This record gives sequence, structure tokens and C-alpha cells, in this order.
Amino acid sequence: MYIIARNIFRFLVVVLFQVLVMDNVMINGYMVPYIYIIFILLMPFETPRWVQLIAGFLLGMGIDLFEHTPGMHTAATVMVAFIRPYLLNLLAPRDGYEPDTYPRIYYYGFLWFLKYALICVLIHHLVLFYLEVFQLKDFFSTLLRVVMSTLLSTSTIVLSQYFVFRK
Amino acid sequence: MRTLLRFIQKYYNLMLFLLLEAIAVALMVQHSHFQRSKLVGFNRQLSGFLYSRVEGSREYLSLREANEQLMMENLALRNRLDQLSSRVDTSTVISVYEEPFHYYYMPAEVVHNSVYRQYNYMTLDKGKKDGVFKDMGVISDQGLVGIILESSNNFSTVIPIINRDFRLSVKIKSNNYAGILQWEGNNPLYAMVSEIPFHVVIQEGDTIITSGFSSIFPEGIMVGEIESFSLEQGNFYEIRVRLSNDFQSLYRVNIIRNYRQEEQLNLENQSG
Repeated sequence: MYIIARNIFRFLVVVLFQVLVMDNVMINGYMVPYIYIIFILLMPFETPRWVQLIAGFLLGMGIDLFEHTPGMHTAATVMVAFIRPYLLNLLAPRDGYEPDTYPRIYYYGFLWFLKYALICVLIHHLVLFYLEVFQLKDFFSTLLRVVMSTLLSTSTIVLSQYFVFRK
Repeated sequence: MRTLLRFIQKYYNLMLFLLLEAIAVALMVQHSHFQRSKLVGFNRQLSGFLYSRVEGSREYLSLREANEQLMMENLALRNRLDQLSSRVDTSTVISVYEEPFHYYYMPAEVVHNSVYRQYNYMTLDKGKKDGVFKDMGVISDQGLVGIILESSNNFSTVIPIINRDFRLSVKIKSNNYAGILQWEGNNPLYAMVSEIPFHVVIQEGDTIITSGFSSIFPEGIMVGEIESFSLEQGNFYEIRVRLSNDFQSLYRVNIIRNYRQEEQLNLENQSG
């Protein structure tokens, strides 16, 4: 029960932080930090997969509503929520994940978390930016934006592990 | 039946995933519908409220710039007033009373603004209560900004030039040839003008202004200057325009109400 309440609270904070603070950060018009998928990244290991999908859907819809974009963030976030369990399996340590731990630097180390966050953010940004452009004409300039934004978002998410989600 | 159930049991996560993605794509495909839905309308009020709170605290940080901008605008207006008042005599003043103004300008502030997306929107702090409705024009003292998309009681959203849905008839000031202004989605400083025929003589640095064909904007509002142009295959120029407005720092704007818009549209509809 406690963990559900905590996740709902985190959901609201993440959405508001994204639209009120992070959306005002932009560097060169190329780099936008979309950090809100940290909510999906930090969900407990044993969360049922359908809960992850629904949570991803609601999260994306929340961002879409504030940014006046139709369904793009929803599509990208649901994609991440779908791929996350496979990715966690792929990155699992030899003895699997310990009970009572969360996917954070504190439990599994910097390198593990960096790989995990980088892949999730990259998938999210690829889907999001290409859906936004919705054509292959500007393929390479879009790719540049994806790469730059991925670097920025990932480093912000990793940093948050030291300041906000320490344990 | 049994195998079907087992199939669903086995793949329900995949099916849920596909269903949710289908909903997202459906929203994307009919996105103008989505923009008009009830949910978005409610959210527009909520986000307008939140954004105006945040903007309120940010105003303090840019007071100096705002002051300077206002001073410059004041100066320009005073000069213009002096020029005009020497031209006007009493007889024309009387005719102003006979016919109420054609265009009415209303000040507004930008409470939320995006510039780096493909479909950028802007939120203003004036809404239906202040007489702001769909399809009114928005300009700043530097030139054209956009068109009102929707308004709620206290807020309204704008489609600026830098939204890929934006389209407006503009013309070249020096020779009055009209073309279509739209945005390519790359850079918030530039837009494209198409449908100017190739025999027209144009130069880099020529001024682009609104054409006044649209019933939304009066004629002659500054849009930008020609940065470069090329002849695409066919008989038309592709003109790259450097926009006169810097959308990243836009703050004070004016909303234009055209009191003869309805009359003009009715007449045009009747004429087919």
C-alpha cells in the first residue's frame, strides 16, 4: 500500500517537474532533457508487466496533455515500459536481482545504472523525435537531436541518483 | 476456445502493449480532433493556471529587459503619433466617429511558450472573458506571431509561425506578389515562403509583410526579411525568410480583433 502511494506521489512530482522546470531548459534548440521516464526506470523489479504498461501510458498522456502534443510521448513511454523487463533480464547480475532492492545506483552500481538508463532513454528519444518529425526527410538532423538530447537526459537522470533518489 | 484463452493468457502483455500503442497512434493521426476534445479543454485551463504562476515569478527576472522594450516601443509610437497628427485634419476625425474601428489591438502576455518542437504552441493570459476568440491574429511590436487556436475563460492558445500546421498568405513589400508562409520545422529563426512565381525579381534583404487577404491580419505587418532563395523544379521560388520575431524571448504581444471579419467571411462564402 505504502509503495503504491509513494509511486503515485512520485508520478505527480515527475510530471510537474518535467513540464514546469525541465521544459524551460533548452540548449542550442537541439538538446531537451526529457527526464520524466525516470518514473518508469525506478519502478520496483517485481511490478507486474501490465501495471508497467498502464503506468507508461498514463505518464505519456500526462506529458502529452501539458505539451499539447497528440500521443507522441504516450507512444514513446509505452514503448520503454514494454521493453524494460527484457532489458532488465539482459542486464541482470549473475545471481539475479536481490529481493528488497530497487533499480538504482545504490544497489547495483554506477556502470549498471548508466547502461540501463542510457538504453531506455535512447529508445524513448528515438521513438519520440521521429514520431514528432513524422518523415525521413530530415533523418540526420533528427538523429543529431536524438543523440544530443539522450546524452543530456541520461546525465540528468544519473545525477538525480546522487541527489534525489539516493537510497 | 480453450486454445484461444491460452493464447490470450500467454500474450496478454503483448496485446496490451499493441492496444496502448494503437491508441497513441490514433491520437496522433487525428490530432486536430484531439486538440478540440473536452479533456484537452479542461487541461488547457489547468496548465494555463500553473504556467501563469511560474511565469509570474519569472517576470521579476526580466523586468529590466521588459522596461527597455517598452521604452523603445513608446518612443516609436510617439514618433508615429507626431507624424500622423500633422497629416490628420478635423474632417477625417469626424469620419472615424461614423465608423467604429476596423482593427482593435489588445495587449496580452505570454505565459507559456515552446520553440524547439515541431508543433509549437503558446499560451496567452487573455481569454473569452477579455473577448479573445478563435482565429484572431497575434503580433508583437517586432512583427507577426501567430493565430489564436482556442480560448478558455482566462487563457488562449496560439499557433505561432513556428508550428508545422501554420499557413498564412504573405507578400513581398516591394512588388506585392503574394505567397504562402509556412515553417519547415528545423530552426525557430527561419520560415519558408512558397508559390512566388519565378519571373518575379526578388533580392536578399527584401521585406516580407502580411498580405491582408486572410481577414485575420491587416495588411503590412512585418514578417521578416529574405535570407536566401532558390528555384525549385517547377516555376516557383523557395524563399527562406529570417523572421523578425525572436520566438525564444517573446513576452508581450498584441491580439488583433478584426471587427469586419464576419462580414468579409460571409460575403466570401456567399460568392462561393
